[in-house]
Amino acid sequence: MKKTLVKFAAMAALGAVMGTAAFAQDYPAKEIQGIIQWGAGGSTDTVMRTVTPHAEKVLGGKVVMKNMTGGVGAIATKFVYAQNPDGYALLMGAENPLLYKVMGLGDIDYSEFTPINILARGVPILVANNDAPFDTFDEMVEYIQAHPNEVKFGSTGPGGLPSVVTSMIASKIELPVTQVPYDGDGPALTALQGGAVDVMPAVLGASIEAIRGGRIKAITLIDNKPTEVLPDLPALGETHPEYADYFPWGPFFGVFVKNGTPEDVVAKLTEAYAEGAKSEDFVKLMADRGYIIESLSGQEAQDFLTKWQSLTTWLLHDAGQTKASPEEFGIPKP
Amino acid sequence: MQALEYFLIPWLDLKLLFLVAAGTFAGVYVGAIPGLSVTMAVSILIGFTFTWDVYPALCLMVGIFMGGVYGGSRTAILLNIPGAPSAIATAMDGYPLAQKGQAGEAIGIATVMSFVGGLIGIIVLAIAAPTVSEFALVFQPRDYMLLAVLGILLVGSLSGESLVKGIFAGAMGLLIGTVGLDPLTAEERFTFGLTGLWGGISFIAVMIGMFGVSEALMQLHHVDKTAVKQKISRIVPNWASIRRYLPLSLQTSSIGVLIGALPGTGGDIAALMAYDHAKRVTRNPEVPFGQGAKEGLVAPETANNAAVGGAFIPMLTLGIPGDAVTAIMIGALYIHGLNPGPMLMIEQPQMFWFITGALVLANIFMLIFGLTGIRIFTKIVEMPRTVLIPLILLLSIVGAYAVNNSISDVYWMLGFGVLGYFMKSYGYQLGPVILGVILSRLLDENWRRAIISEQGSIAGLFKGMLTSPLSLVLLATVVLIFVSQTPLWRCVRGKLGLESRP
Repeated sequence: MKKTLVKFAAMAALGAVMGTAAFAQDYPAKEIQGIIQWGAGGSTDTVMRTVTPHAEKVLGGKVVMKNMTGGVGAIATKFVYAQNPDGYALLMGAENPLLYKVMGLGDIDYSEFTPINILARGVPILVANNDAPFDTFDEMVEYIQAHPNEVKFGSTGPGGLPSVVTSMIASKIELPVTQVPYDGDGPALTALQGGAVDVMPAVLGASIEAIRGGRIKAITLIDNKPTEVLPDLPALGETHPEYADYFPWGPFFGVFVKNGTPEDVVAKLTEAYAEGAKSEDFVKLMADRGYIIESLSGQEAQDFLTKWQSLTTWLLHDAGQTKASPEEFGIPKP
Repeated sequence: MQALEYFLIPWLDLKLLFLVAAGTFAGVYVGAIPGLSVTMAVSILIGFTFTWDVYPALCLMVGIFMGGVYGGSRTAILLNIPGAPSAIATAMDGYPLAQKGQAGEAIGIATVMSFVGGLIGIIVLAIAAPTVSEFALVFQPRDYMLLAVLGILLVGSLSGESLVKGIFAGAMGLLIGTVGLDPLTAEERFTFGLTGLWGGISFIAVMIGMFGVSEALMQLHHVDKTAVKQKISRIVPNWASIRRYLPLSLQTSSIGVLIGALPGTGGDIAALMAYDHAKRVTRNPEVPFGQGAKEGLVAPETANNAAVGGAFIPMLTLGIPGDAVTAIMIGALYIHGLNPGPMLMIEQPQMFWFITGALVLANIFMLIFGLTGIRIFTKIVEMPRTVLIPLILLLSIVGAYAVNNSISDVYWMLGFGVLGYFMKSYGYQLGPVILGVILSRLLDENWRRAIISEQGSIAGLFKGMLTSPLSLVLLATVVLIFVSQTPLWRCVRGKLGLESRP
């Protein structure tokens, strides 16, 4: 009885190995699911829907994309985590899962996944209502310090880009502001135009059209060098070198598969998305929206994620915005 | 002149014309099925039309949007199940009309009035878009909060016989709306540690359960009764009655455009507010409200379709979505290489007029598709109950599942259906529950934003309310409506020698 069981197990294991091998050769043999963490029409959605058709051509298969929203992307992340690691479920997400652990949103983050491609990175920018009585970073800081808690900063809740940027700035100077939370950067930027908030740390891509239209004014770019989109805008890392170490930092978009996916499948997907990231459509979209194409894969992508997580979680932790210390999860200090 | 040229693009190109028509037709039926929402249809279309040119893609989306907002009234009138949240108010007087055998007439009025409302919305979009969007931006968190309070006061007109029961139902709705991750801080609320509750309880599931399933259960009481024979002699309302409702429809359409143009509020709230407005201003309805008053049908149907034009106002002038559907459309414009924002009107004026043209066209197709096929639809109500009840249940289950492709939504829906049945049996109206769920988030978020902005000072909040003209007007309206529903008002009126109306 025991022997048969062992034999059976061995055969099953062999079968599984052979199955996988056969599988990987003719991957993709069926439709691939692409689970997008954010809603239709949002920036993650736009990025994924632009790049994927070009990746499909290289893959020679179909990627069916589906939006699975909720829980700051955690629902989609958990869903893909629950699938078999066979390369037929791709997680198409943004930076948020790297903060789940410290924000108390669950234990599954990108460490459970293999990055296929970190496609692009957004550049944060500080924008203000046109009537705000300051135009530069120094004037803003001076005004804020002279009027403690009176200046309203738009926010998207703890862990969102605005809260990280605000923590970055506040890590070097006194910054007594009131943070007003909104559902996302869209509604917060709307509130900025209407004067319900005075300053908003936003991603360049989301605010660029309003800046071009003269609806809001740009204060400083949160990066080390100015952007081509707004060449006259000073970069904080240049004007205030004490911040330079933090940058480049920004939200990012990436495609992931669950750990344990066969290596040749990962290789094939990596190749496909690397090609996709070179496509004209994608390059144009990223340039228009002020995103910087990264197209990182393999170890480079892994390093990017590690650095990002370490810097951001510790910043948030030091600002008192986390529920658990990054130390608990073995996230090293930057 | 060039504007007219752009405006006529969808009219003169046969393919675009067909796509608007197809979109509108599909929209009417997507809208009529509870659970299949316009938002969902448009997000599916984004993937589907990815490789298309921008014009055909927009034609299809505009058609679905217009048709879908109207389509919700179909099932609301025939089965008392609103096909979409914006048709909740339509069910209140539409369904009683169907029960009286006037379903055909009710659908006819709803269709024509949707057309009127849609047209007014588009006219405002075409001639006053920049002004309206500037005005919409003036709304501060405290104003949204006052708007939500104004909405909560509708409990007064939705609670039927007992105001106390209405308030209870409304409070329950507000509570249901708070379940899930707190939108401002991502803190868990009433989730009991279950990650499945993070996303909250699907509002559509509550709506389908409360209206669809509870209605089916109620009807089980009289399975043996024969269905009401429908009179279908007159479907298209005559000119006299349209003229009669014109003043009201102009008022409710303005409510619709404005609420639609505000980012964060949409057709559902617009329709409920319009219903309340109609109830307030109609002195002598032929039939009391709630029992089949035509005014109760005119108001929400004009308002929710006017909100469509309204939603496009901030989208086309500023790149700010007026509601969930326009939010997705902004994404679609990005995908097609356009940059929606304040510069869109200046750099790409053809987009503005093209969309306006497509909207007018969709509105006309809506009228055509709406008025045809009514005869067949009214047969639904004449079906024997033994067929109708399982059909309603099936439709409810499919609808609830379709929202998120989640079976737990079906369980929620069934649970709320049973709860709704008992509530109805004990004289609790279900309208206030849905109202509470709709407004919960608006009230919750904006009250907190308003008080955070004032650094936690109540005095500061009131000072802000009293110094801003907009907030002052909203506050005064809230106080006036509130007082008018209390005995104090009658007392004051009596003293002033004014005749009090019932």
